[in-house]
Amino acid sequence: MELQFALYSAGVLAPGLSSLSDWLAWCKTRQPVAADTTLLPLPLALPANERRRSSQVVRLALACAEQALARSPFAPDQLRSVFASDEGTGEVCQQMLEALATTGQVSPSLFHNSVHNAPAGYFSIATQSRQPSVSVSLGGESFGAGLLCAVSETCSSGQPVLLLAYDAPLPQPMRSLLPIAKATASAWIIASADAPSPAQPPLGRFALSLNPGAADRGDTPAAWLPAAWRGNSSAQAFAVLALLANASGSCEFAFGAQRICVRLMQSPAAC
Amino acid sequence: MPGIAAYSTLHAAGADNHASWQAISTGRTGLKRNALPWCSLPTWLGEVPQVNDLRLPDELEAWDCRTHRLAWLALRSTDLQQATGRLVERYGASRIGVILGTSTAGIRSTEIAYAHWHAHGQWPAHFDYRRTHSLDALCRFSAGLLGLQGPMLTISTACSSSAKVFVMAQRWIDCGLIDAALVGGVDSLCLSTLQGFNGLQLLSSEICRPFDAARSGISIGEAAGFVLLDREPAAINLVGGGESSDAWHMSTPHPQGLGAQAAMRQALQAARLGPADIGYLNAHGTATLANDRAEAAATRAVFGPDAVPISSTKGVTGHTLGAAGVTEAIVVIQTLEQQRLPPSTNLREVEPALGLDVILEPRQAGLRHAMSNSFGFGGTNCSLVFGRAS
Repeated sequence: MELQFALYSAGVLAPGLSSLSDWLAWCKTRQPVAADTTLLPLPLALPANERRRSSQVVRLALACAEQALARSPFAPDQLRSVFASDEGTGEVCQQMLEALATTGQVSPSLFHNSVHNAPAGYFSIATQSRQPSVSVSLGGESFGAGLLCAVSETCSSGQPVLLLAYDAPLPQPMRSLLPIAKATASAWIIASADAPSPAQPPLGRFALSLNPGAADRGDTPAAWLPAAWRGNSSAQAFAVLALLANASGSCEFAFGAQRICVRLMQSPAAC
Repeated sequence: MPGIAAYSTLHAAGADNHASWQAISTGRTGLKRNALPWCSLPTWLGEVPQVNDLRLPDELEAWDCRTHRLAWLALRSTDLQQATGRLVERYGASRIGVILGTSTAGIRSTEIAYAHWHAHGQWPAHFDYRRTHSLDALCRFSAGLLGLQGPMLTISTACSSSAKVFVMAQRWIDCGLIDAALVGGVDSLCLSTLQGFNGLQLLSSEICRPFDAARSGISIGEAAGFVLLDREPAAINLVGGGESSDAWHMSTPHPQGLGAQAAMRQALQAARLGPADIGYLNAHGTATLANDRAEAAATRAVFGPDAVPISSTKGVTGHTLGAAGVTEAIVVIQTLEQQRLPPSTNLREVEPALGLDVILEPRQAGLRHAMSNSFGFGGTNCSLVFGRAS
C-alpha cells in the first residue's frame, strides 16, 4: 500500500548549505563544499531568556524550521509537527554526564534541555502553537521513522504537518561511540490529498510505501552524499529531496525489519 | 477502535498484572526510602529490586542494561506472548508494529560507562552504546524477543512518551500500515533524572502525596508496561486519544492548563463522548505544586468542579516518567475490567482549592469510559480514553 503526500516547502541546513536551492544546486554539480561547519542563526522567534539558554540542536532545528515556514502556505499554528533525530540532544546529555561525573549535580536548564523533545518544546514556544507534536527516533533510521509519522499523521488527520529531521554533532568522547561530526537538518511541510489545498503549488508529490521482509539487503546510504555527514540519520532526507533535482526517481532505505520506499510521483514542473 | 488483546505491567508495587491491581486498587504503595548504593539523595523511590541481580539469557547479554531487564521481565508475561502468537498467526509478523516510549532510554549504562571514561580515559571495553543506551534499542530488543517485524519507532517526549504511543498506533492502524501493534514503554532509575529533578527542586524528601495540601514534589519510580492493540475491537478498547502542546515553558505547565484542556477535549472529541461520559480520570498527578494545580484547573474547565472521580496512582508506583503513560493506561484498563475505582494514596488532606472529586477510598462503580492524562517537559500533553464494549 502507498501513502501519498505533497511537499509544499522545505528547509535545508548542512555545512555550506543554507537552503533547499543550495542543496538542489549541489546535486547538479556534486562539487566538494568548502564550508566545514553548519551556520546556525540565533532563533529570534524565542523570547530572549529561552534564546540565551537554547542549545546547538535547538538552534539547528528552529533555524531549519524557519526556512520552511518562510515559504509555507500554512500558518505555523496550523501545523502539527514531527521531530526526528538519532540522538538529537546528545551534546546536552554529554554535558549532563560530565556534570554527574564531576560535581554530581545537574542544573535545571541542563536537565530540561536534555530531553529528546526539547527542540519541539522550544518550537511550540517560538510559534505559540498548541498543535500536537511528537519527537521520535530509530537510531540511524530516524529519518524514515519521522517521515512515516509525518505522512501517516497528515493522512489520518487531514491536516498539514511539519517534519524536522536533524542531527547535531556530538563532542568527544561521545563521538567515538556515535560518530556524528556535522550538523545536518531538513524541514518538510507536507499535506495529504485530503488536507485543505492551498493556492501555492507543491514542490513535488510523493508516494511512500513499506516493503516488508527486505531488511537483509542492508542499508546503503547514497554514496554520492558528502562523506563528512552521509552517515547521519538525517542525511537520508537529503537523498529524498535530491529527487526534486532530477525530477524523477525513488529512494529506498532500511527501517527496522522493513524498507521504506519514497517515490517522486509528480515533479516540480508538473505541479 | 483498536481492542486491547493483552497487556503486561511491572512496577515497584507489582511484578505482574494481578499484583499490580492488588496494590493499585487498594492504594498500597510500593515506594520506599532511597537505599540505592549509587545515589544518596534523601528521597523516596519506586524501585523494582528484581532487576538488580537479574541476568538476561546469554544470547541477550549484549543488550543488558537496567531498562532492558525491566522490559524483559514484563515481556515474559504468558498472556502477552500467547496473544502475540495469535496475532502473528492471523496477520503476519510484518503487519504488527512496535511503538514504544522512553525518556531515559538506557542512560544509566552510559552514566556508569562515563564514570569509567573519566577515571581511565577510555570507555569500558564491552560498552555497546547502540544496544544498551540508544533510543531505538528498546524497540529492537522488544521486537526481537517477540518476533515482530512491523514498522517500529521510539517516541521520546519526556513523561508523555508512552501515552503518545497509543495515538500513533491508532493512526497507523487507520492508515492501513499495520493490523496490530505492541505499544508501551520503559524507564529505569538513573542519576540523570534523580539529580535533574532534584536540581529543579521538584523531588520530594517525603513520600509523594498527589493533590495533598502539603505536597512537596515527586517520588521517582521505574516501570515497564506493554499493551497489545488489535485493529479488531475487544472487551476493552482504546476509543480516542488527544494531544497538544503548552507553548509555555520547558519545565513548568501552563498555570490554567490550557494545553492539558486541549488534550482532554480532543480525546473526548476523538472518542465522540462528552465529559459526563467519563466515569474515572487517572490524573497525571505528580504531586508537584505546579502540576497538580494546573491539572486541577484544566480538569475543572473540561469537566466542571468536583464533577469526575479522579485519582493519581503515582503514590503507589512513583512517577515512572517515560513509562508513566502506559503504566496508567493499564490502570485505566483494569479499572474498566474490575469496575472499581483506585484511590489516591498517601493523602492526608486534599487541597480544597483544587476543586476535585479525589477518590480517597477504593469503591465499586459502574463505568463505561475512563481517561488517563500524561503531561511532560517541553509542554507535551496526551489524554487517552478507554472504553468497555457494551
